[in-house]
Amino acid sequence: MTEFLQALILGLLIGGVYALLASGLTLIFGVMNVINIAQGAFLILAAFVTWSLWRAIGLDPLAAIVVLTPLMFAFGWLLYNATIRPIRRAPPAASVLLTFGLALFLEGIMGVIWGNTSHSVRPGYFTESFQIGELFLPKAQVYGGLVAILVLTSLYLVLTRSWLGRAIRASAVNPQGAELVGVNVGSVAALTFAIGVASAGAGGAIASVLYPFLPGSHYQWIARLLGIIVLGGMGSLPGAVIGALCLGVAELMTVTYIGPEWATGVPYVFVFIVLLLRPQGLMGTRLRQDVATT
Amino acid sequence: MTDVGTTAVAEGTLKGGGGPPARAPSKALRSPWTALIAVAILLVAVFPVLSDDLYYQNMIILSMVFAIGAVGLNIITGYAGYVSLGQGAFIGLGAYTVGICVTDIGGSPWVWVPVAGLLSAAVAALLGVVAMRARGHAFVILTIAFLFLVQLLATNWDELTNGTGGITLPIPTWSVEYQYWPFYYALMGLLAVSLLASWWIRRNKFGMGLIAIREDEDKAATVGVSTPTYKILAFAASAVFVGMAGGVYGYYISFIDPLGMFNILLSVQIILSLLLGGRATLWGPVLGAFIIEWLNETSNNEFGGGNARLLIFGGLLALVVLFLPNGIIPTASAWIERWRTRGKAGLAGERLTGIDLRERAAPVPAAPSDSARPLLEVKGLAKSFGGVRAVEDASFAVPEGSITALIGPNGSGKTTVFNLIGGTMAPDAGEVWFEGRRIDRKPPWKRAHLGIGRTFQITRLFGDMTVLENVVAPLREFHLGLLGADAVSGREARRAEELLDFVGMRKYRDVRASALSYGQQKLLELAQILMLDPKLIMLDEPAGGINPTLIERIGETIRELNSRGKTFLIVEHNMPFVLGLCNPVLVLARGRTIASGSPDEVQNDPEVLDAYLGEDFRLEQPVGA
Repeated sequence: MTEFLQALILGLLIGGVYALLASGLTLIFGVMNVINIAQGAFLILAAFVTWSLWRAIGLDPLAAIVVLTPLMFAFGWLLYNATIRPIRRAPPAASVLLTFGLALFLEGIMGVIWGNTSHSVRPGYFTESFQIGELFLPKAQVYGGLVAILVLTSLYLVLTRSWLGRAIRASAVNPQGAELVGVNVGSVAALTFAIGVASAGAGGAIASVLYPFLPGSHYQWIARLLGIIVLGGMGSLPGAVIGALCLGVAELMTVTYIGPEWATGVPYVFVFIVLLLRPQGLMGTRLRQDVATT
Repeated sequence: MTDVGTTAVAEGTLKGGGGPPARAPSKALRSPWTALIAVAILLVAVFPVLSDDLYYQNMIILSMVFAIGAVGLNIITGYAGYVSLGQGAFIGLGAYTVGICVTDIGGSPWVWVPVAGLLSAAVAALLGVVAMRARGHAFVILTIAFLFLVQLLATNWDELTNGTGGITLPIPTWSVEYQYWPFYYALMGLLAVSLLASWWIRRNKFGMGLIAIREDEDKAATVGVSTPTYKILAFAASAVFVGMAGGVYGYYISFIDPLGMFNILLSVQIILSLLLGGRATLWGPVLGAFIIEWLNETSNNEFGGGNARLLIFGGLLALVVLFLPNGIIPTASAWIERWRTRGKAGLAGERLTGIDLRERAAPVPAAPSDSARPLLEVKGLAKSFGGVRAVEDASFAVPEGSITALIGPNGSGKTTVFNLIGGTMAPDAGEVWFEGRRIDRKPPWKRAHLGIGRTFQITRLFGDMTVLENVVAPLREFHLGLLGADAVSGREARRAEELLDFVGMRKYRDVRASALSYGQQKLLELAQILMLDPKLIMLDEPAGGINPTLIERIGETIRELNSRGKTFLIVEHNMPFVLGLCNPVLVLARGRTIASGSPDEVQNDPEVLDAYLGEDFRLEQPVGA
């Protein structure tokens, strides 16, 4: 029972971090119909920058969020305008291939700068745990999960309470309609992409403490995030949160009861099951498609 | 490539040809290309005999492995439009099949190569079953998940695969003086066979269906293309040869492990080859594969591989998408074509007036019928979208042999009724009966096979296909023999040309459908569904948005087809057109049928006038008089 409870709580905490990362991905998909395969590479990039900051000036990885979020926001905005904006009217496959290319390119750059060895950020509290009864909860996981929930909450507030948030949601539901009521959908798309990448910045800083990483880890991460948004329903923010919590718990349960070597397979199984049984995901809706939208 | 020469001869035997057919643009380009390709094939074929440079022999062997992969990927990505980022998994699957069979059962690795192909095809077909309901992005995600899942299985299933330890294959037994020749020529043979398969698919009914799926999957389903079957067959076809090539590849490098065999960079190399060379072309994937493998070797030797490979592949992928989205061969062909046709006028339209249809070739055997039994019956049909009740309790019958109209104000649910009859949507309640058979649970392609053909309010043609290809894409009935039938020449093409002739579009047979005017598109869509030889033809606003001459022409065509036994159900807002052509007329308002009868009865029905115009409207002159 303790074992189960431990796996459940740790799963939910990790799930909170996943939720933050997947929100960025699902937001980008919702607004511009782009699957950003480079999201995993962005978060590994953030993790490496966090590592360098920690090594150079001893900056706490969770405090590094304050630096990384705006940094990655700017990076995302520039990248969108330089690469994705020119092909926004191309068929959807183009953006998948483009971001896939970007992911590989970034992986190469990170390999050149930081080398292809495993890195991890170990702040002072890394080896400490909170003990509640018989439960041992590592401090890094608890702090990481809580910070992720905090960032996610502020993202949610931005989306629901600000004009930008309403513009983003309007652009997601009906781009033409949004343009008619004065939303510059092109700029909103750039900002959305930047917010998505910024979430990878915050999430990457947190992830750098939770898992060791190397440039090639981005495949594992993108697989996880894709599994989450497929499960939750592509483009749905609440779906991403639910999917992330499910994946976090499912991974921890797999580690505890089946074996750690199979944990990486959980998101792939999610993808297969969801696409077979409920292709629109948990929170996704099927839209009316017979009305001509061209 | 369409074959103008042979069909031009066949055309002479038909009545009333619509003028000389347009020249296929590629015809004049053909000879220099053919010569170039022949020289390239010859060079590759004799290279190992002439040169004992193992560095280049190795490079060509690997190029051929990726070329086979890219030619296969072209079937699903180039023709059917489904992008896969996990195609490299089949190289690994093939290699593992050979490795495991040789280790556990024994025998020569060559014996197991066909097994590797069959297993890959079977796995790909299973993937096709999962992908049946996944389109676009969901499918891309599925292919990534598939690649990583098999890699994980290969890593963790120690008893079968020996995990990360890998499998070592026996050293080849032939004399050293033959170098890598057996690998080399085996792969060359496989490449030839896969190219042949690709060429064949591009010109048969199956391939036309795949391209139709790429252009508009929902529309393809309404013209009889059973999309799940097509997709599953296409996945299997795309994997069979690359699985075999993977088996040869595994034997060639003689060591098989999860990291090498399921490396995502193998997939990247395959998709990059396809994109660079040119999607949906025959030779593009091969050209791309040779260029990319050369780059790969260069990056390994000059820059130490690893990160350099990632930078080159990743950068090139992004650059190709941004600056060369069509690939080398299509871009080059377009340049040459532009240069060749500089200053020449476009194809002029055929005059549509004064054509007597009765003198034209009969496209369909007349089936006289004077019984008035209902061909189609709709009972209590209902469909809601969220809170909007688009159709509510619609009931009506279409008598066999009639030209029935379905009219009603905007938003009354006419197009939704069409979608429910055609099967594009499933009804919430109610029944649809066709020829005494209940069809409301059947998928759209089955309904098309039974004899229902429909056009769309805003024409939905397969824009990137030629006019002829648009007409041969529909499938009347499903059997494998028909899928393999030649589509661009031979019987199917002749039938399509007769239909094009019938609607006066023959001149345009080699023009891309997206280049047609709106009225021409309407005519083409009609010819397209006539290919189904439907008993019931449903037209959604045939007279909408086109010029008066063409409206008259369409009316004539409908009457002519009706006299040959076709039943029509027409949605139309042009009242003079409807009232002069149709009987009975059904009126739909707020999702219900409120009236039916002869044109006279309907236009004097107070309820109809109320629905259209509001109750305070006074009619000064009967409509359509």
